[in-house]
Amino acid sequence: METTFQNLVLGFSTVFTPTNMLYSLVGCLIGTMVGVLPGVGPLAGISMLLPTTFGLDTTSAIILLAGIYYGAMYGGSTTSILMSIPGEAASVMTCIDGYAMARKGRAGPALAIAAIGSYIAGTLSVVGLMFLAPPLARFALGFGPPEYVCLLVCGLVVLSYMTGGSIVKNLAMISLGMMAGMIGIDQMSGYFRFSYGITALGDGIGLVPVAVGLFGISEILATAGSPEIRDVLKPRFRDLLPSKQEFRDSIGPIGRGTVLGFLIGIIPGSAHIISTFVSYALERRISKHPERFGQGAIEGVAGPESANNAASEGALVPLLALGVPTGPVPAVLLAALMVHGITPGPLFIQEQPVVFWGLIASMYVGNLMLLLLNLPMVGIFVNLLRVPYRILYPTILLFCVVGVYAVNSSMVDVAIMTVMGVLGYLLRKMDFETAPLVLGVILAPIIEFSFRQALAMSGGSYAIFVERPISAGFLALALIMILLGLKPLIFKKRDWRDRLSEVEKGCDAP
Amino acid sequence: MTMDRVSGAFLTLLGLFVVWERRVLPLGTASHPGPGYFPLLLAILLIVLGAILIARGKGAKKIRSVCWPEAPHAVAILGCCLFISLFMETIGYRLTLLLTLGFLFGVVERIKVWLTLALTLGFSLGTFWLFDSLLRVPLPRGGWGF
Repeated sequence: METTFQNLVLGFSTVFTPTNMLYSLVGCLIGTMVGVLPGVGPLAGISMLLPTTFGLDTTSAIILLAGIYYGAMYGGSTTSILMSIPGEAASVMTCIDGYAMARKGRAGPALAIAAIGSYIAGTLSVVGLMFLAPPLARFALGFGPPEYVCLLVCGLVVLSYMTGGSIVKNLAMISLGMMAGMIGIDQMSGYFRFSYGITALGDGIGLVPVAVGLFGISEILATAGSPEIRDVLKPRFRDLLPSKQEFRDSIGPIGRGTVLGFLIGIIPGSAHIISTFVSYALERRISKHPERFGQGAIEGVAGPESANNAASEGALVPLLALGVPTGPVPAVLLAALMVHGITPGPLFIQEQPVVFWGLIASMYVGNLMLLLLNLPMVGIFVNLLRVPYRILYPTILLFCVVGVYAVNSSMVDVAIMTVMGVLGYLLRKMDFETAPLVLGVILAPIIEFSFRQALAMSGGSYAIFVERPISAGFLALALIMILLGLKPLIFKKRDWRDRLSEVEKGCDAP
Repeated sequence: MTMDRVSGAFLTLLGLFVVWERRVLPLGTASHPGPGYFPLLLAILLIVLGAILIARGKGAKKIRSVCWPEAPHAVAILGCCLFISLFMETIGYRLTLLLTLGFLFGVVERIKVWLTLALTLGFSLGTFWLFDSLLRVPLPRGGWGF
């Protein structure tokens, strides 16, 4: 405990410099804009703005990128409440009661409770991250190659189950992603694989072009030209402060949403989206007046918004402690860290205490900044929504190109982005999820390396994966998830994942 | 033909293609897997999953039910991406973006000429200044230094 607080002091001493405070502020503001604009999620936002961090030192760069990440989670609620259009998928549930409140002239309290809930959840989740990540990293130091293979395979299977839609399709996307991750020089033998003489492919196809193509370009391809009907409700700032009753009604949902969101956030998959569904369903179930939900119940805003922010920070636990991204956004954060020469994993916290604790401290500061800045500036952010999409999408395209090109100064990366954009567009049309594909690309080299090491250790016996208790445990969990995922296929019944998939698709349009 | 069957067939063919392409990579042994070992396992997995999609795809949505209302815009944007990929290093960032944004704003979206000019010049020159000059992220200048 004492060491944790000493480290936190180290973190705050890193953050409380004018430069880092400025980067935290800029990250939060950009993140909020990214969250507010429909069609530009945190993933595309971080990818596009990654080059802006190249000239910065590592700590400042990570503080800026983290600010964009959780700023986007805050910003998504604004469009949900004022327009009934989720800025990003995790704000879907906020639309229901948030927009109903806005129509009753209570947009101000809805925005305020969303911001306060997000602040409380964000701050408490950082406490959880701070206490959970270091011991988890110490535990993971005992992992050998077989445990790592099984952990990652388990993570991918859980992701394919939790993402929604067909588990067979999701597993196929993981395999496809892992195959794409095989392109380039084999780390162990030095062989060029599937490169067809293109030297630039030696280092592989790179996560940034893949992520920007699959999420940024495919989004533009799928949504450009769609009719724009945007009815933005103006918040009344005179009654921005919630009433005492609204405050009282929100305390419980914020607390429950925080715990739920943080715990669900650690699990791979669409955690931040799932957490909002679970939180909304829980609040409705335990409410004495469930009939108020859908008509403008403040609990329907407070719970999901808190859960969404807590989940986004919960997702950083496996990323920072184990080096395992649980979704596409943490995967891009991982790529961004790697661009800056940092490889998250069990040794990260020990070897890079300034970066880790600086990031933790910046999250406390950033959450407070978001609370203090977002409400007074909501009018400015709303004006962003008035920019027509036909002007917005060429601009997004431009930033995608710059973002991808700047990573390696390579036109091959821009070409990969284009190919991935087309692939993502076609996959959407064919009802495939693209998140598992991205995770497959980034985890393939790590899985293959550990897999080959494990087989070398065992003299070629696959039994090594089931003989060791930790790896056997991970495999058992993966098997359970596969069986659960196959259940609807066998019994031809829709489960919660089908509904999640439908809602995610429903909020794709700008 | 249903969507699942078409995509299943595509995945199976892709898996077979990887199996074929892998033949130049040594497989190694189980105790010392070579560079072709893991791709082969993945290809087999992909073929199996593709086959499951084909086998179970009878009740899925018909491929003809897929709507493409955004196709004209998508083709234009895709053309722009290809143009950028092919010519940005040759003619430079600013000129490429001037042409691309001008085409998208002026031709595809039919925005007023003065606004198209303002947006095109502003974004292509402004982002070059922001990234290349201010943030020191090198962007291509093309054959004549522009």
